[in-house]
Amino acid sequence: MFCIIALIIFAILGIFSASHRLLAKEALDCVLRRVTLRPCNTGFKEKIQAKILGQLINRSVRLTKFVNRYFEVLAWIFFILMVASTVYVMRGGYNFYMYGNCNGLNEAGFCVFDPTGANNQTTPINESCSLTPPSAKDLRFDVLKLTDFPQVTANTEKAVVFIGCYSCDATRKTYPTIRKLLANNTTNFTFIHFPIKPELNFLSNYTYCINKIAPNKLWEFNDAMFAAPVNNLTDKNYVNSVIQQIGLDANAIEQCVNDPETQKIVDDQFQQVVATNIYGTPTTFVNGQAIVGPKPYRVYQRLLSGGMFAEIRDYFARLTK
Amino acid sequence: MSLEQLRQDFPMLQQRLNNKPIVYFDNACVSLRPQVVIDAITQYYQEYSACGGRSMHKLGKRVTQECAVARQIIANFIHAQKPEEVIFTRNTTEGINLVARSLNLTAGDVVLTSDKEHNSNLVPWQVLAKQKNIAHKIIPSNPDNTFNLETYQNVLNTHKGKVKLVAIGYTSNLDGVTFPIKDIVKLAHQAGAKVLVDAAQAMLHHRIDVQNLDVDFLAFSGHKMLGPSGMGILYGKYDLLEQLEPFLVGGDTVEYTTYTEHKFLSAPKKFEAGLQDYAGMIGLGTAAKYLESLNYAEINQQEFTINKYITEQISQLPKLHIIGPVEPAQRGSIVSFYVDGVDSHKIALMLDESANIMVRSGQHCVHSWFNAHNIHSSVRVSFSFYNTLAEAELFATQLKKILMVL
Repeated sequence: MFCIIALIIFAILGIFSASHRLLAKEALDCVLRRVTLRPCNTGFKEKIQAKILGQLINRSVRLTKFVNRYFEVLAWIFFILMVASTVYVMRGGYNFYMYGNCNGLNEAGFCVFDPTGANNQTTPINESCSLTPPSAKDLRFDVLKLTDFPQVTANTEKAVVFIGCYSCDATRKTYPTIRKLLANNTTNFTFIHFPIKPELNFLSNYTYCINKIAPNKLWEFNDAMFAAPVNNLTDKNYVNSVIQQIGLDANAIEQCVNDPETQKIVDDQFQQVVATNIYGTPTTFVNGQAIVGPKPYRVYQRLLSGGMFAEIRDYFARLTK
Repeated sequence: MSLEQLRQDFPMLQQRLNNKPIVYFDNACVSLRPQVVIDAITQYYQEYSACGGRSMHKLGKRVTQECAVARQIIANFIHAQKPEEVIFTRNTTEGINLVARSLNLTAGDVVLTSDKEHNSNLVPWQVLAKQKNIAHKIIPSNPDNTFNLETYQNVLNTHKGKVKLVAIGYTSNLDGVTFPIKDIVKLAHQAGAKVLVDAAQAMLHHRIDVQNLDVDFLAFSGHKMLGPSGMGILYGKYDLLEQLEPFLVGGDTVEYTTYTEHKFLSAPKKFEAGLQDYAGMIGLGTAAKYLESLNYAEINQQEFTINKYITEQISQLPKLHIIGPVEPAQRGSIVSFYVDGVDSHKIALMLDESANIMVRSGQHCVHSWFNAHNIHSSVRVSFSFYNTLAEAELFATQLKKILMVL
């Protein structure tokens, strides 16, 4: 058992050092002999064991005695730990590839492949000291009446619902990914503006009104809002200038925005979003599956395509076309 | 000169590994080199690394001159009659092979060796036994591994008239036991045999006088006597050397050649084929000169003190067996031991790893003895005049700790 552990460790160290490469070779010879039921005849284990014991003996004779006596047992323990940690690392790698986080989709916690946690960043909603942290498991997609929101419909079952706010960093980071996703796929799409700060509430009225008056212009408006300096977003004059730039009738929009009926609808939209138990923006539902935070493009794409195998299937389908 | 001053001559003893001093107890394998030897070798490469014995320019002449001086120093060191009796070789093994290949042994000739020869003084005779059908006979040692003169006499008598050569070690690298070479030579000569002595293990610890011993051939290595590696000496009585045919021939061994003929030079030149290791020759000469300046009685006293201390400290440890005689004085500068059920390599590695104590483990190129005695291996502690009692104390302490663990 010791030879296997030594082989792995020295093989890794051997990448950087020639002396460890020789030890790795010796360990490999030992492993090959053991798997073919022959004794390891290079004294490899004894050599490494002696080196370890030699280092320990100056610290504690008792500890050295213990290590010597239970060397094989300790080797087994290390082997099991190594296998377990390898499984965890592989699981982490799989999760990172599939969901953009080592711990799984929408899971918090440190991920070595995303050490800054960039893929989990959100702008929190209603931060409070609750006893239990918010969880993606509590998110409810079914409370949303999608026809109440700006939509692009397509003749497909696939659906993406993107909830974000114009001023939130994480939403701004995710927006281009969502645009790319829409460009590369035929899917139903719903855009929901969910203002985090009260002073941005009025932008929801604009979103509603632009979609009502000139739905095609909404995406231009969104592009402009997500690209605009955050400080400008609270300035109505700035928003109006954008409206004019994209060729909309500012008066008509203004009239709609100030209409009490609009406010009623927007408030209703807001309550629908609150009912989803959303706790951070952006939150995206891809085919009903919640994705919290800005994930890599591949995560959205795979969920939209129907999983990893569907993605492979699509890839080959494209090749054969 | 005090021991501390003497140790200053050896740069390796000044260094620390892992922030600990080195305890070098592997002198039977390779001795350390004093600064003067290192300087002499460096000086050759820096100042006159030219061709010796051939080129007429100033540098060439200097090389020739320095090598001649080195040969003379070595001849004086072993008390040879003249420098021409000193042949530069690569090591003891080459010296022994030179005799084995050149002595013109024929089928039925008997060669005697002891039962604990280094492979360098065993394998050449085994090969000749196969190739030329000579008879290679072993002289069994006493139970305590000392030489049995009576048995030796009996073997000589048994093969009366047929024993052509007694090839024997001066000091065993297995257990440090020194053989009664003078008696061995006397009896061999009485039986009409020549004597080849493997003195590799002796040069650092004994003052050897080839004339007094009356040996016919004597081989030794530089690396075991403070000299450079890859350099050795074969001494031979001049008239015997003149009778020998060289076994390695080529450049510098001949006076002249035609397309069909050649004429060899006289000894030692005819045995020194090809361009020589001039730096090695000069370094070995310097080492011999350095040794000349030492007091061998003091050397032996220091080695005995260390051997006695180690023997006292470890001989009573459970399951530990010292190879060779009980009396430390008979084991010179070596304590070779094994512990039942414990791998010798493990002990050696742990000594090294825990305290930079460098000993050798294994069968020390005397596999035949270990196989005959069914002993797997031993740990060999071999010291020299530059080792201290404090080092021996550290060794004993560490060994006791290690054996508590294993």
